[in-house]
Amino acid sequence: MRLELGSIFIKDIQFASELKIESGTLYVSKDALRQVVLEDEKIKGVEFDIAKPGESVRITPVKDVIEPRVKVEGRGGIFPGVIAPVDTVGEGKTYALKGMAVVTAGKIVGFQEGVIDMTGKGAQYTPFSQTLNLVMVCEPVDNIKQHDYEQAVRLAGFRVAVKLGELAKDLTPDETRVYETPTIKEGFTMYPGLPRVAYVQMLQSQGLLHDTYVYGVDAKKIVPTILNPTEVMDGAIISGNCVSACDKNPTYVHLNNPVVHDLFDEHGKTINFVCQIITNENVYLADKQRSSDWTAKLCKMLDLDGVIVSQEGFGNPDTDLIMNCKKIEAEGVKTVIITDEYAGRDGKSQSLADADAAADAVVTGGNANEVIILPKLDKVIGTLDYITRIAGASDKTVLEDGSLEVELQVITGATNETGFTKLSAR
Amino acid sequence: MIKVVHYINQFFAQIGGEEMASYKAELRVGEVLGPGLALKAGFKGEAEIVATIVCGDSYFNENLEQAKADILEMVKSQKPDLFIAGPAFNAGRYGVACGTICAEVQEKLGIPVITGMYVENPGADMFKKDVYMISTKNSAAGMKAAVDKMVPLALKLVRKERIGTAAQEGYIPNGVRVNFFEEERGSKRAVDMLLKKLAGKEFVTEYPMPSFDRVEPNPPVKDISKAKIALVTSGGICPKGNPDHIESSNATRYGEYDITGVTDLTSDTYETAHGGYDPVYANEDADRVLPVDVLRDMEKEGKIGSLYHFFYTTTGNGTAVASAKKFADEFAPKLKADGVDAVILTST
Amino acid sequence: MKRGYVIITNNPIVGGALGGKCEVIYITCTYEDILKKIRDKIHLGYRLMSHPLSGSVKPGETPYKSVMLSADANRVDMKSLSMIESAIQSCAKFNFKQDCYDGKILEDFQQVDLSLIKSGIDSAGIG
Repeated sequence: MRLELGSIFIKDIQFASELKIESGTLYVSKDALRQVVLEDEKIKGVEFDIAKPGESVRITPVKDVIEPRVKVEGRGGIFPGVIAPVDTVGEGKTYALKGMAVVTAGKIVGFQEGVIDMTGKGAQYTPFSQTLNLVMVCEPVDNIKQHDYEQAVRLAGFRVAVKLGELAKDLTPDETRVYETPTIKEGFTMYPGLPRVAYVQMLQSQGLLHDTYVYGVDAKKIVPTILNPTEVMDGAIISGNCVSACDKNPTYVHLNNPVVHDLFDEHGKTINFVCQIITNENVYLADKQRSSDWTAKLCKMLDLDGVIVSQEGFGNPDTDLIMNCKKIEAEGVKTVIITDEYAGRDGKSQSLADADAAADAVVTGGNANEVIILPKLDKVIGTLDYITRIAGASDKTVLEDGSLEVELQVITGATNETGFTKLSAR
Repeated sequence: MIKVVHYINQFFAQIGGEEMASYKAELRVGEVLGPGLALKAGFKGEAEIVATIVCGDSYFNENLEQAKADILEMVKSQKPDLFIAGPAFNAGRYGVACGTICAEVQEKLGIPVITGMYVENPGADMFKKDVYMISTKNSAAGMKAAVDKMVPLALKLVRKERIGTAAQEGYIPNGVRVNFFEEERGSKRAVDMLLKKLAGKEFVTEYPMPSFDRVEPNPPVKDISKAKIALVTSGGICPKGNPDHIESSNATRYGEYDITGVTDLTSDTYETAHGGYDPVYANEDADRVLPVDVLRDMEKEGKIGSLYHFFYTTTGNGTAVASAKKFADEFAPKLKADGVDAVILTST
Repeated sequence: MKRGYVIITNNPIVGGALGGKCEVIYITCTYEDILKKIRDKIHLGYRLMSHPLSGSVKPGETPYKSVMLSADANRVDMKSLSMIESAIQSCAKFNFKQDCYDGKILEDFQQVDLSLIKSGIDSAGIG
């Protein structure tokens, strides 16, 4: 499957009366976007704001981060089975608005997490301090159930991102890159000497605020399956995950999955990147056994030599990670796992909830319990009302000078377990 | 100016070698000795060694409580901002002394401490989790390299600056996880690690899995009344006079002793070599640690088949796990060969 | 109808929500204590059927936890035991004060916990 991915670099975002992209500037008409958001009757209002790198702005609580994209050629559309109709994506031509993101923010539940600081210490830890962010804070209708609200905000973010992406449909990309993987049989003849490598991605799939969707299917209902790695670039996987800000995968990370990209960098040179295998992280232990059995089985059936396994979330998924690693290694397939750590504020506790000697090659996104001080910033998009209650904060969080003493886990993307950032620990 | 008290042994104070190892702890105010000179040069005037404490390695380890108390007072009298011990390189007792006194000063006086030693020095395993110790070469030839790392880390500790990872700062990994930014993002590091693993090349995991040294339990003894039982202890019980000189701590050897015909361990015949617990009750009646008397009774009553005619013993006091494993590797085959069905392991 | 599992929970809404579909043992206690009660059961030979650290909401951040245990006791299941022990251990890594929570937040936590255990029940084969 072959996908041509064109980058349209967005250098500025401004509010205007008309929605358009002109010489690298995205002009946003609030009214036009408001209409898109209010299509859902569960939402009664929405506020838009812009946060730029280096500004004294804090966005919190953050639900999702999305990169606008548009399908220019080939089957299907962005976010198949969710926004676009169900159709297999990942081939043809797609454009992405680079350097910007749509951020959905605001309270969904009372312990809503996620902080993006555009400047200061916190900005070093979140990858989304580097993007021009169009922030939308939705207000639900009264007496809405938590899961209805989550779904409404999730989908509103995607609709807005797709609307913005469509503005680029007729533009000429600043940069184009081609991603192509052969079929299984072709791969054997094209790259006879290269090790066969796949990416095993574990998807958060535990329940309300902990869900991921694949072509619109709730990931806890899937059995492990294989994707062409270009499918995620068209939004085959989306995030419905609102918990554990530091190590959840926002939709932006699914679209720009760094393991997929870094494996493509080696594809045809040192490895044959065969496919992406997706599996889940269910609550029910028998599901864990079935899914890890199947993941290992797929690795064997595909004659793989090596895999990278990435995790999402805290606690429960540690068990899936170790089960996957152990069983895949037992099939003779070399495994590297990516995780993050909860080693306590002093760094002395056991980092993971599970362990096995087979996990001898581990990449870590760092200790999420590490304490940092975030400076007081001039402007807050969203609200600081919940900041003392979220994971990694406490009633002592707000210091006298207005700065915040928090654990890294409050920061969106800080210890991402797909290896999206450079943070690590030893 | 940052005030430093430096601790060294008799050898580095140029008092003498093993023959002077019983040298009593001594405070030398205003003196800078041996490695202290290298430290002083390294501090470049940012810190000053106000006193040096010299203590013989044997004296320290054999008079542990007294030595700790005396040295603590000496340090306290100088009101320093920092305490440095060693570096001890591969000198075992010196390393243990450096670790012990650093931990003591840190806990009792609440000032930063630092030492340095070779990673295989028994003092490293004992104290690496308690105090910062720079990883040094195995001989004093590594003095300059050691001081080059000790000085900056010591200054950071005094200034309460953020301490980096073991690899960045040069200390022996202490199990504390420290965050830092890598050159490459995690996914790229994972790809690189996988390429190495696929090629059979060496790679370094970023998170070593905790090692669980689990031992699968053996099936139960079928008929205990016919079983041959052996006694093995880490409680240090040995014939009076400790004929094989089993060390009171950090044992490097074990003893094999024949108890054919022995029905009771008495204060005239047996004692403990262990230096890590109050030996009075063990010396009074060594059966309290190694229950030969009870097993002889059970043998007579037919409750067990027989008591094996040797027992094996060492002191578990700070003894390295690797040493203990080596001991068992040597004597376990003998137990098997002699048809021993079960072993009772006693500790203290 | 006899089910293969029971739910142990300190979440007050679980019993009502599951409407007699399965046996629910409700105990009023803290997050850590409910894990310890579950450990007691495991010592008696019951097996874990859902993960005790279900959910990314951190231990103690949410005061609620519901776990599925086998209905029948057998020999002590070492996997269950080590899983519950590491779950209990991980409680110590987090530091939360729940007295600042108001009723609305508690309700949110209850809903999330219910949803997590429901996903386990769905997997086990009843809606």
